[in-house]
Amino acid sequence: MSVSIRLALAGLWRAPGRTLTRILVLAAAVALLGGMLLFVGNSLRTMSSSAVRSVALDWQGPVNSLGQAKKIAAGVAKQPGILEASATATAPLSGAQHTGPAGSTTTGAGAVLAVPPDYLKHINTFRLLRGGLAPGGVVLDQQMASTLQAQIGDTVRLTARPGSKPQPYKVSGVAIVTASDQLFAPLNPQLGPAPSQPPANVAVMQTDTFARTLAPTLRTITSVTPGASVQPGAQDGIQWQVQVQLDPHALSGGSPSAALTRADQTRNRVQRSFPGQIQFVDNLSDSLHTSAGDALYAEALYIMLAVPGALIALGLAYLAALGSVERDRRDFALLRARGASRRDLLALAGVESTILGVIAGLLGAGVAFAAVSTLVSGGAHLTTARALITGGACVALAIAGAAAARIGASVSVLRGTVVEGRSTATRGRAPFWQRYWLDLAALAGSAAIYWLTASTGFSAVVNPDSNPTLSLSVYMFFAPALLWIGATLLLVRLRGRMLAWAVRRAAGAAPGSSGLRPFVLASAGRRGAAINRGLIVVGLLLAFGVNLGIFTATYHQQAKVDAELTLGADVVATAAPGVTTQHNLAAKIAHVPGVTATSAVQHSYAYVGPDLQDTYGIDAGSFTKATTLRDSYFIGANAAQTLKRLKATPDGILVSKETIADYSLKLGDPLKLRVLDQPTGKFRVVRFRVAGIVQEFPSAPKDSFMVANVRYLNAVSRAAGPNVVFAKTSGGAPGVARRVAAATRSDGTQVKNIDQQTAQTTSTITTVDLTGISHIEQAFVIVLAAAAMALFVSLGIAERRHEFAAMTAMGASLRDVGAFLWSEAALVLAAGIALAAGLGWLLSVMLVAMLQHVFDPPPDALAVPWGFLGLLAAAAIGATLLAALLAARGLRRLPLGEILREQ
Amino acid sequence: MSVIAPAVGRAGVSCTGVSVVYGDGDAAVRALDYIDIAIGPGERVALWGRSGSGKTTLLHVLGGLVVPTSGSVWWRDLQLSSLDARARGHARAQGIAYIFQGANLLPHFTAHENVAFAARVAGHVEDGRHTPPELLALVGLAGKLDALPGELSGGEAQRVAIARALAQQPQLLLCDEPTGHLDSDTGARVLDLIEALQQDFGFALVTATHDADVAARSARAAQMHDGRIVGEERSG
Repeated sequence: MSVSIRLALAGLWRAPGRTLTRILVLAAAVALLGGMLLFVGNSLRTMSSSAVRSVALDWQGPVNSLGQAKKIAAGVAKQPGILEASATATAPLSGAQHTGPAGSTTTGAGAVLAVPPDYLKHINTFRLLRGGLAPGGVVLDQQMASTLQAQIGDTVRLTARPGSKPQPYKVSGVAIVTASDQLFAPLNPQLGPAPSQPPANVAVMQTDTFARTLAPTLRTITSVTPGASVQPGAQDGIQWQVQVQLDPHALSGGSPSAALTRADQTRNRVQRSFPGQIQFVDNLSDSLHTSAGDALYAEALYIMLAVPGALIALGLAYLAALGSVERDRRDFALLRARGASRRDLLALAGVESTILGVIAGLLGAGVAFAAVSTLVSGGAHLTTARALITGGACVALAIAGAAAARIGASVSVLRGTVVEGRSTATRGRAPFWQRYWLDLAALAGSAAIYWLTASTGFSAVVNPDSNPTLSLSVYMFFAPALLWIGATLLLVRLRGRMLAWAVRRAAGAAPGSSGLRPFVLASAGRRGAAINRGLIVVGLLLAFGVNLGIFTATYHQQAKVDAELTLGADVVATAAPGVTTQHNLAAKIAHVPGVTATSAVQHSYAYVGPDLQDTYGIDAGSFTKATTLRDSYFIGANAAQTLKRLKATPDGILVSKETIADYSLKLGDPLKLRVLDQPTGKFRVVRFRVAGIVQEFPSAPKDSFMVANVRYLNAVSRAAGPNVVFAKTSGGAPGVARRVAAATRSDGTQVKNIDQQTAQTTSTITTVDLTGISHIEQAFVIVLAAAAMALFVSLGIAERRHEFAAMTAMGASLRDVGAFLWSEAALVLAAGIALAAGLGWLLSVMLVAMLQHVFDPPPDALAVPWGFLGLLAAAAIGATLLAALLAARGLRRLPLGEILREQ
Repeated sequence: MSVIAPAVGRAGVSCTGVSVVYGDGDAAVRALDYIDIAIGPGERVALWGRSGSGKTTLLHVLGGLVVPTSGSVWWRDLQLSSLDARARGHARAQGIAYIFQGANLLPHFTAHENVAFAARVAGHVEDGRHTPPELLALVGLAGKLDALPGELSGGEAQRVAIARALAQQPQLLLCDEPTGHLDSDTGARVLDLIEALQQDFGFALVTATHDADVAARSARAAQMHDGRIVGEERSG
């Protein structure tokens, strides 16, 4: 073995240029994989921590009394992995009153949150703007304070239920309640987190203050009170509860699935510690469950996008290994002549591959780390374990790649003699795949599988088990794989046919011509294997680049569309119902520079049978000026027709196709809904008329929802008016949003913009951040495409130096000799670009269709990233030109005497 | 000690004081050591010596493939040793042809294309005295026009190399161990062919060989040793 090591080291040392080339190409190939490993690991960790961070309140356990809540909270707080456990309560409020210098002001129904003094240490369900919690005092939600026109130090009177005596409280602070949905949701551990109508007015006070003042006037919702609090907005008693926040550091170290498992284990352990005393509604697991499903989609995406690139990169390593095959052949022949067995030669190749692999692997891991740190926002977050795993994977892959390339390139050397090993052109039979038309068979197979899987909807489903798993039909992967194979083989066949045709034409057109073209074509026609090798690597690399570019551009385009769909418009301002109407916020925002149109929307809730659905009241006349409606959002009519029909039907309502199916409805049918009566907080039955079917709508959730005319909805719900304003902008949304926020600060608005929404990692799959991985891959693909062309040209010189030397010895000019080289490079580049355009486009279409679950709503058309594609083509062309220039220099310097002595 | 050849006119090839040194410092190898030789038009000269004596290097110097470290090489009225690679290539195309030990045919060209390419390089496509098929017929390969080098035997490949050299209409043919890869019978036939063609075409012929019998077939044989011409025999 020591002899093999010495020989391998000597061999590598004697050809430093080629050794360096092989190391660099291998390093680039494994760096791509290493970068992906780091990125995917990071991405999953980010998804976990984001899912954990996004939950303001992890667990809520309903109990029957304050005493029980305090006792259990104290016990839970001592458990490992628990950050905080608090005894709290929520309760209804029938109204509030404040008498100030301007007179007396009252509010409608609302809710009370009672918390211990140190509640805000780790639980952030509300954020104090001014003041703080104080014994005997109350912290008002910003909207409530605004409605009551109350300041810190003022006295307000809260009434728990109609008819009960109002209780006076000194206002000790003003806050924004950020987690109303969870705080006031009905708590049923068997059902888990449930949707709820957040109260319009919220008052926060210390638990002891609440227990002393308001609690005696209200009944307690016990865990045995059936349905006592299942109706959101209709809570009619005190819900004592233990609120728990878990330690995020203990959860967010791995993938969302791992975090979900840990969170579930912790919850089970805590519940076991208090048998029969408490069961938690687990908001955290709900969020992690969604995130785990997204993570599975993300992993499938990364595999489909990244693995072909990595495989092609290893093909490049094979090209690089071919560069030294002539030298290897001579060395091996010499060793065999001196008695070395094939086993010895294999050992030598193995040792050499290990040396190259270790160096290239470590270098690749370093490049991967640098690339991820530079190109991915948030960096690589390298720990010792991650560094070891990534480094180890890169080294192992580099060794395997080096060995495969070395053995593949030298197989003829290992098999035969020097003379036999030297490549000479012969007229062999067409390869078996051409004789049996396997290229067309692969393409037909791809089309058939694609059609079959498309007709079944691709069946990519996240199974909602305790820990999500992704069901992907394995056939889905066959369609693109067969397309890759079929298109490549077809191009190889066409290249051969076209060259043969060109040779015949050149020979027929100019018999005895003194031109060089017939010779160049004849030579290229017989160098099929070498040209195909370059063509396959370059073409597939470029096709991968095109596929990657188009897919990620389409993905980002749809992420933007999805963001607009999720947020509602470019800029969205939310305010208290009364404020929007009284201060005419829509008109106020419309005057902000950069805003081109606005439309006020009322967001409310209504019951269709037992289902609580989001309900949107819109002004059908102005709505499309402020946001975008796509035809694909509606069924049975386009966007314009549907809105026209809604506008013409004052009590009209657009419902989902599920509602249509569940209640056997058709257009024009009456539909009775239970609508929230805002002043009382009770639901009452109101008659609507079905005016259309909607499946997506700006700012609406992905499940069922309804859209009605704002005027009618406002009237029947006795609301104070719209509570949201949509705004379309003509420039950068963040800047306009800042101006809108500044202009409406005194109105207590919350302003969001579309860029913020796009960047926000929430539970939707389109927010899986492909930016990082696409940056990494695009950077690598540009470098590798350039390297592939440069390698092809330099490999041409290495392989043909003897031939070129013989031509030069005859007196052929550098221009003539060079023509044999650059013509093949031009052929490979042109055919590669043709393959890239066709295959890349087809793959993108296929990938977008296969991952249709990722695109919600589906794209109207693929997005073409011309900038990136131009850069990719420029890199390949530039590298070819540079390599051709260097090749010309190399040809001029060929050591003719030395080469022509070689036998 | 070098033997000074009789002076020839500018119509032939000559070299004066030519030395070729490969490498430098302690690793320097003196392949040719102050060689003077002149070869007249139509002359047949053998460079005879053991392996490593400098025969091939001298052939490469005479054809402008290798530029001497010192000394000068003249081909007709051109000082070959002072020209750049392009001009030397042009000079070769205009009248210097090589036949190598291993034929060195262009592997992706048929026999016909190998010969035609040489004619094209030399600029004799239109005005050639013989077309490529005629040249191949001349060397007995009329039936192998479309054969690729890999499909030819060693002797056939060498005959294609001869036809290829003839396509250049050379005034000087430099043969490096032309029979080195051939059995004795085939080798003899190849030599007969070259000599017959020399009679017909009138080019000067320089053959590098380690075989005394081959050298003896030339009118003039310069014996080489350690990069020097150490003796010369003339016959006839």
